Amino acid sequence: MDTSKDMLIGLVAIVLGSIFTITFIAIESETGIIGLIALSGAAVVLASRTGISERISNAFSSNESMMNSAVLVAVLVIIFWFREDHFSLLMIATVMLYLTACLGLNIQLGYTGVVNFSGAAFFGIGCYTAAVLNQNTGLSPLIVLVIGGIMAALIGSILILPMLRTRGHYAAVVTIAFAILFKTFLEVNDTLGGAQGLKVPGMEILGWDFNSNIEIGDEIELSFYLNYVAIALVLSVLAFILMRRVERSWIGLNLDAVRLDETVAACFGISIKRWKVTAFTMGNFLIGMSGAVFAMMLGFIAPSNFAFSDSLMLLSIVLLGGMGSPWGTVVAAGLVILLPEKLQVIQEYRFLLFAVVVILILVFKPQGLLPRGLRAYIPGWRG
Amino acid sequence: MATSTNTPQTFKFYRELYILKKVIQKSVVSAIALTMVLSAGIGLAQAKEKVKVTFIAPLTGGVSANGIGGRNSADLAVQLRNADANAKYEYELVALDSECKPNVGVQVATKAAADKKIIGGVTHYCSAVAIGAVDVYKKFGLPVIVWAAVLPDVTYGNKYKEVHRVNGTMINQNDTAANFMAGLGYKKWVVIHDTTDYGKGHNKYFSEALAKTDGKILATFGVTSEQQDFTAELTKAKSLNPDVIYFGGLTPIGVRIRSQMEKLGLKAGFQGTSGIMSEAYLKGLGPLSEGTVAFREGAPIDKLPGGAMFVKKYKEQGYSENPEAYGPFAFAAMNLLLDTIEKVGPDRKKVRKALNKTADRDSIVGKITFDEYGQNTVAAITKYVAQDGKWAVWEDSEYGSGKRKLTGLK
Repeated sequence: MDTSKDMLIGLVAIVLGSIFTITFIAIESETGIIGLIALSGAAVVLASRTGISERISNAFSSNESMMNSAVLVAVLVIIFWFREDHFSLLMIATVMLYLTACLGLNIQLGYTGVVNFSGAAFFGIGCYTAAVLNQNTGLSPLIVLVIGGIMAALIGSILILPMLRTRGHYAAVVTIAFAILFKTFLEVNDTLGGAQGLKVPGMEILGWDFNSNIEIGDEIELSFYLNYVAIALVLSVLAFILMRRVERSWIGLNLDAVRLDETVAACFGISIKRWKVTAFTMGNFLIGMSGAVFAMMLGFIAPSNFAFSDSLMLLSIVLLGGMGSPWGTVVAAGLVILLPEKLQVIQEYRFLLFAVVVILILVFKPQGLLPRGLRAYIPGWRG
Repeated sequence: MATSTNTPQTFKFYRELYILKKVIQKSVVSAIALTMVLSAGIGLAQAKEKVKVTFIAPLTGGVSANGIGGRNSADLAVQLRNADANAKYEYELVALDSECKPNVGVQVATKAAADKKIIGGVTHYCSAVAIGAVDVYKKFGLPVIVWAAVLPDVTYGNKYKEVHRVNGTMINQNDTAANFMAGLGYKKWVVIHDTTDYGKGHNKYFSEALAKTDGKILATFGVTSEQQDFTAELTKAKSLNPDVIYFGGLTPIGVRIRSQMEKLGLKAGFQGTSGIMSEAYLKGLGPLSEGTVAFREGAPIDKLPGGAMFVKKYKEQGYSENPEAYGPFAFAAMNLLLDTIEKVGPDRKKVRKALNKTADRDSIVGKITFDEYGQNTVAAITKYVAQDGKWAVWEDSEYGSGKRKLTGLK
């Protein structure tokens, strides 16, 4: 009975959210940014006290396709708002690519419980694949993008051997070792540009150069980053759908069983190895693909982009958003990418404030921003 | 019909409306008056047009001390200019943090370059960031002056008219190093370098420069910057019996290599690059640092033409951090940029053109002349030697005067 009212509240929340996002991206003054952060904190507290946030989440679970499309429309509006603003679009695309990568990580960590401390390394594999292929071959970037994902998955499958033989902390150490190994390998490898890095030619599909501004008539000149935003949006939407589908399928059920208790899962005839390999490969594929687009967009990559600290940043997005929660990942990716950038105004103190914000969030929401709810097998199904 | 509206209620209503009208009128009048006064006041204070310039450096992370020192120095240049009554514009410094990471560097470079209000920039301490960001400047047409990144490719790797650099490159440093050391009478070298772009670049350019002299490199070793034990490399080096060990890398492993040389009884001279020129090197080694030779662009601050003025003004501004080695370069670069904007106006294309033509300009780091790549050709390299726990300029040192002798010289 309340569903239509909930939906209305949900839609209003989306509208307010997109207004907030636009203001947050556009604002430049120190007081404005810190004010906005305080305002959003207050709004979140107020919403949870008055039960509004619960109603919003109800709206999302009971009218899923409707709400998802509404969010998509909101994102399109935000993109359209910044259509001529290079920098804002670059930030938006970066958020989306990190979101895609983190959705991949979420399949590994959030669903299956496979800890991956080398996310940035797999991201880097995608980047370097794109760089090498774009420099040396005339392959279409869309194929390059897929190859980037496949390469990450393939190299990940080498890593899977020691990972399957170890558990828990030990498996985590294996991935940490891989992250460090990957960076050192790049630094000493001269054909891949060594420590200095590599230039990556931009995307070009059938004569459509992604790196020049889109001109429509004489009046309208749109930022060339719009091209990358479009591709990043498609990728992240696909990754989001994939994650949701996996969760609701028997695959997701198996993954959850593996995470919750390996022994019990094995007793029920679930192959631990099989599902760990599946999740790890699927996640790495997504991470590698987003890396490939990221490299082409940025135009320059170097090993220092793929340090252990960057892997931690990817993981922190997953944890901050709430493990296994795609919407949480969306919010957290926006926060972790945009906030340090907006805090440029306070210069050398920006990471200090950023860290304080993150700690505050985790103090008040230890499960992450939007913790994963109960499994819903059918959209709108409420047990 | 018409009279029926004149009930007491309507009268009251009209009276209220009248009062409201008066209030609005009054407030509008006063608002207009206030705006006029304010705008006159602002008009006086803001007679100058506002112009934005950017500064990019690592302000957080491992090398942030250098970045913050440069930021303060650039800020000093802007502050001094704003205090100058003759300046045509009022400048606002937009300082951005690159974290010494290429991806963040490209991001902030895009932020600065896409902002049409920013006319020019003084950018980059880290070479890896600079090399990634130059394409962005080219794409958006933002004229920049690099203040500290030493990788030659930043200017020589492209023909971008937007990119300039006031500091010297590794090439200058190693040309001087090779000629000077060979001139002293050294013949046989063993090269150890770290495998970062910094170490590898130094190895490359030192080898090239040394090939032009009669010096010879017996062996070259690449080591990672985390390596602790150098016994293998140094034992091999010892068997080759070199006159001098050339080390291309930064202080931490420089200290380790120098002390392990002593342990293995490797008696040879020790020659470093600008990377070991720090207090930490001298403190870490104590008396062992004696006689280490190193090279750095620019003269020491007290020998610079405007060095004393710079130090004095820097102190007056009350920055809590030191300007560090490259601070004067940031100051000089920012001054050059502001001078150019003063001359041709806040227009990116005109500023770019004028900067390209910079020749024989005085600055606190010496004369500045840009070649066709935008590289400052007058790069002063100063030779230093560690003497009694201090970095002394070679010419003023007891080694230079012949009182003391370097190890490994025959």
